[in-house]
Amino acid sequence: MAFMMSPTSTSTRVSIAILTLVLASLWGCASSAPPRPAQRSFENVRRIAVVVTGESRFAVQENQAEPGKTFDEVLGWIPFKAPYWRPLADLVHKGINWLLESDRASTTSRHVSGISPTAAVSIVLSETLAASGRFAEIQMPEREPAGDERRRLDGIVRVTVPEWGIVRVREGEPDLHSGFADVRAELVARGSGAVLWETRQDVTNPERLPLASFKKDPEFTRQHLLDVLTRAGQRVANELLYAQGAGR
Amino acid sequence: MSTRAGRGFVLVVIALGVAGCATGLEVGYPESDANRALLASVPSRRVEMRTVTDRRIDTARVAVDRDGKDVVTARPVGDILAEALAIELAKNGHVVGAPGEVVLAADVEDVWLDMVRGHGRTQYVGKIVFTLTALDGRTGEQVMARRYIGTSRRRVEKPSDDAAREVLNAALARSIRDVATDPAMVAAFSRATAAAAPAR
Repeated sequence: MAFMMSPTSTSTRVSIAILTLVLASLWGCASSAPPRPAQRSFENVRRIAVVVTGESRFAVQENQAEPGKTFDEVLGWIPFKAPYWRPLADLVHKGINWLLESDRASTTSRHVSGISPTAAVSIVLSETLAASGRFAEIQMPEREPAGDERRRLDGIVRVTVPEWGIVRVREGEPDLHSGFADVRAELVARGSGAVLWETRQDVTNPERLPLASFKKDPEFTRQHLLDVLTRAGQRVANELLYAQGAGR
Repeated sequence: MSTRAGRGFVLVVIALGVAGCATGLEVGYPESDANRALLASVPSRRVEMRTVTDRRIDTARVAVDRDGKDVVTARPVGDILAEALAIELAKNGHVVGAPGEVVLAADVEDVWLDMVRGHGRTQYVGKIVFTLTALDGRTGEQVMARRYIGTSRRRVEKPSDDAAREVLNAALARSIRDVATDPAMVAAFSRATAAAAPAR
């Protein structure tokens, strides 16, 4: 069967083809920025408690092409021994002392017993929020506040560090590694429990070193990890402060 | 439109489209992501932005891909940072222009993206490091010098330019938010005297 095509239909087909090609050529360049979640204003939240929640896991993320070559291999040199909890407490305890010795030690009642990486992040978070002058009161209670203690608050910031440790960040000879901390935080309104703000922050130490550097110098490793926990606390605080003005 | 003209146009469009995609990562800081932050707590200042200096050790690339090819940004990194800072300053109620009550000088120290192939996943780690120096526009006195570091780490199943760009965008956004929430920056703006002449 012969297929006849008029000049008009040819023109239409060419136009459609052009449009299709324009769209197709631009498709690959289109920005895929995720939609921004709606922010709730919390400028009137002036009295807060920063509360440590959840468990923390120390990890050495090798991201190898083949699975299985991970934590066991490094247990021999990592400056903490299993069970992980206790050595981490010691590690961060030293970090807390370091923070206490800093010139901003006057505020809050800090407890150094039962410390976790989350506590280290939370202390730096509290310090950074206090330095901003945006809050009338920042508490760091050992547990979720209750009763009168809770009633005097406007909001509660809950902080978790689900995972922290050392991650391989560059392939090469040798591979390079950095300290990292993954942090989750949320601000909830006292009373209603409404989540006013929440964030997930992946924090990576900007310095990269061969794994051998971490192996041979536990003190350096300790400082490197404390540095990333400090950065994590500041990062979460800055995100909270930044979001505070979102409703304006 | 004649068929011949249409074909020619199609070829031009394809060429432009491909060229647009091939020139590098479109890294930037969207205005819609900016908030009024601590930096908005000081009275509005006129801010003179000096040309951002690219002081990276390796200025030719921001990454090397799996095939060993250089990855670049679509625009110079200095322009990207200058635009991001200008957006943030404007959002916080300040006016960019000369002469300024505050003079800001920025040096880019590092922009880099690392890729690590893992077990079925690729990890990207992006880093942006720059220093900001603030001068009193009238006296030329340095009132602040700070280094800002933004990092972002993400694992994806399929490596792509989009993923790479988003990681660098996140690193940039974090560093800019650190600027806008830095009490030292707020103090520098507070100290800047009104009715200024630019520092030269």
